[in-house]
This record gives sequence, C-alpha cells and structure tokens, in this order.
Amino acid sequence: MISLLKCEHEKTRRRHVPATALILTAAMLVWIYPKHQNADLLRLGWMEYLYELPLVNSVFMPLLSITVSSRLCDIEHRGAMLKQLAVTVRRGRIYDAKLIYGLAVVLFCVGLSWVMTVAIGYHAGFDGDVPIKLYLLYLLFTAVPTAAVYIFQHTLSLCFKNQAVTFISGITGMFLGVFSMFLPQLPWLRKSLIWGGYGALDFVGLFGWTKENRYKFARFDLMEIDWKFFAALIFVCAAMYAAEREMFKRKEL
Amino acid sequence: MNEIVKTTGLTKRYKEVLSVSGLNMSVNEGRIYGFLGPNGAGKTTTLKMLLGLVRPTAGEIEIMGLPMNGKNRVEILRGVGSLIESPSFYGHLTGEENLRILQTLLDVPKHNIDKVLQIVGLDDRRGKKVSAYSLGMKQRLGLAEALLSFPRLLILDEPTNGLDPSGIQEMRELIKSLPKKYGMTVIVSSHLLSEIDRTAEDVGIITNGKMVYQGSLESLHGIDSSKSLEEIFLELTGKERGL
Repeated sequence: MISLLKCEHEKTRRRHVPATALILTAAMLVWIYPKHQNADLLRLGWMEYLYELPLVNSVFMPLLSITVSSRLCDIEHRGAMLKQLAVTVRRGRIYDAKLIYGLAVVLFCVGLSWVMTVAIGYHAGFDGDVPIKLYLLYLLFTAVPTAAVYIFQHTLSLCFKNQAVTFISGITGMFLGVFSMFLPQLPWLRKSLIWGGYGALDFVGLFGWTKENRYKFARFDLMEIDWKFFAALIFVCAAMYAAEREMFKRKEL
Repeated sequence: MNEIVKTTGLTKRYKEVLSVSGLNMSVNEGRIYGFLGPNGAGKTTTLKMLLGLVRPTAGEIEIMGLPMNGKNRVEILRGVGSLIESPSFYGHLTGEENLRILQTLLDVPKHNIDKVLQIVGLDDRRGKKVSAYSLGMKQRLGLAEALLSFPRLLILDEPTNGLDPSGIQEMRELIKSLPKKYGMTVIVSSHLLSEIDRTAEDVGIITNGKMVYQGSLESLHGIDSSKSLEEIFLELTGKERGL
C-alpha cells in the first residue's frame, strides 16, 4: 500500500491537488474571520464559532471533497489509465489507495482549519481560553461528516468519466445539507442526508437573540448531542465504503 | 508447443447483444498470434476478457497453464503486458514519470525504464510531458508500458492505430523481433489483413463474435491457392455475416 500511496502522490505532480485544497481552506478561514468586533461578540466568541461553523463547514467541506476527489480521479479517466492499473494492481487496492490519499488531504485541511480557527479566536481576542473539550468534539463532528461526504464523492469521481456527474451531485447534496440546517423543525431531513451531518451534530444553540438587542442578552447553550446519529453516520461511512468499493471492483473497464 | 492462452467457450453478452460467442482461442508460446476481424467483431472485448477488464458471461480462460479467476487474476497478469484500445497515460506527467509509476507498481528494476524507452525510440523525449506527445509517440509510450516488465505474453490491440507509414513499419519490425529477442508471445489484433499478414505467424479470425478460422498463417494461405488472402478472408467472414 505504501508504494501505491507514493504513486498517488507522484500522480498529483503539476496537478496542485494539495495546494488547491489549501487555497479552499484559506478561503474558508478568511470567510470566518470576525469582521465586526464588539464586546458582546468577543464575550461569546468561542461559543459563537461552535454555533456558526457547522453551517460554514456544510458549504466548504463538500466543496473541498468535490474538488479533491474530482482532481484525483480525473487524471485516471483522461488518459484511460484505469485499465492499465487494473491489470497491474488489484482493483480494491486502487480504490483504497486513492481514497486514503484524498481523505488524508481533506482531513488534513479539516485539522488545519481547526487549528487556524482556534488561532483566529485568540488573535481576535475572544474572552477566556478555548473550551478545548468542546472544540475537540467539534473537530470530531466535522471530520466524520466530511469523511462520509468524501467517500461518496470519491466513488462517483472514480466510476464516472464525466466529472460533471460528481460536481452536480456534490453541489446538489451541499445545497440540500445547507437547506436542511435552516429547517430545525424538520430534524429528520438533516439526519437523512450525509451532507446534513454537520447540522445534525451541531451541539450549540443560540438563545436570547432578538432583532432589537441582537447579541446583548444572547447566550449560547450546549444542546444534547445526537450520539445515535453519530454512530449511524460512522456505520454509513463503513457501509458506503464496502458497497462502493465492491461496485468499483465489478465495474467493467 | 505449449499453449500460453487457451479459452473455452468464452462468451460475452451485453443485454441483447452477443458480443463474443463460445470462443475457443489457442495461442502457442513464443509465437506471434494475429487476431483478425472486421470492426465490431469482438476482438477488443475478447482481449479485455483475457485481461479481466470485462467479465465473461460464460466460458473459461487459461493463461500460462493457470485457470484465471477473480482471486489469481493480478498474479497471472504480472506476466502479461498489454496495450488495449488506446494507450494509457497521465498527460500532465512526462513519459519517464509515467513509466516510473508503473515501474513502482510492478516492482521491476528501474533500469527497465531506460531499456523500454530505447526499444520504442522515445529515449530523447522521456522528459517531455505526454500531453505534448503526438499520437504516434503516445502509442509508443503505450507499448513501452506494456513491455516494462518484459512479460512472457504481450497483448496488443490495434497497436498501429494512429501511426504514420514509417511508424507502422517500425512497430511491425519491433513486434516481430520480440519473440526472438525476449522470448515473448505476442497477441496482436487488427482489422487490417495486410498488417496481420506481415506480422503474425498464427492467426485467429473472428467475426460476429465467433472464431471462423484458427491456425497458422501458412495454412490460411493454403486453403485455396487460387484465391488471394483477401478473398479467403472475405469468404470466411462473409459466410458468418450471411453475405
């Protein structure tokens, strides 16, 4: 597997896959940097981030997944390389190596954005220290839905020559995921979508916010974590991996 | 003589279309086997089945004396080089970088890259991006990839496609030299009778997915000495197609 991963890295030469992923991550960080600082926002800063970032993630992480998976798999389709690889290496290993490499890039960006988010918090002057336990939980609840989205995108990118299929499916899923977050009265909607995972695992709620007073009397409280959904999402990841890997193995080239 | 490839009742059906029907193919080791047939006859599908790229609907495949199945496919194919349909490559990488990736995956010595680049005449273009290669150069790179492990069996599907007349001649001479120089067996498919006539020793003629002739090229010539090879070919393929 090591040599396969080395080859995956070699293949990305001049394709700037990690660099593209870093640019998207940087764009996300610019997006979340506090534009208007006032005492209320600084007081609530750490918790406000935990409340708002799942929505930002539900846009950027699927975009990141689409970009990385598509760029990694497109190189195989363009030069019809899959048929050459398939007579050299077991197909399951081709699927795994590409998935591990792409997932590593995406999860590295998730980790990097987490570190930078904490750094931004300190730089902006949020009150107190970062609530590290909550932030580690947030990291976990960002990484797992991203992995689920990535596995899905990876298979589409690998199985379809036309990357528009990947792009359209990914963007549609992303919009549905974002849309589901604006419908808290329909929790089943976000729970039924892999893109809705960011919202379904959101564990911070905003209370006391009004149009007139805005954040003056607002507070962010912890909400109950849906561990059942979290377990189900991990199961979905494993099931998607097994089913889609098998599908790729059976695909005629 | 050892049979390096043997198929029994090899069949492939795509929904309603029977692409290959009960094909019994027999390729002797150390020979050049010309796989001849009109466009759409089932040549590429057959070769893809030999390589496990397409799953047969029925029939058996034996390569190097081993019955091929899903479990041992890759191990058997370690001794097989192939160039199917169009050459495979990463356009954004150089010719050498392309070969280095396959060399790593095949776990063959690095100096094989230099050897095959010399054999196919791409030594001086090794550092150029493949996207800037001409069609003929890409075809040569495809052949270099197929030769990289110096396999016992080489499967080439229409290898002269896209080559100019001098390129075709070079490719032909190269293919002819492989059994003697490296002890390879070559299966070369083409829809061009003249190409097979000049390259192969044995020939299999397929039309509508069925093998209508298999034997030495010499015997094919001897079927009817009053007729040209083209006439014999047309007669064989025409019967099957109901012409």
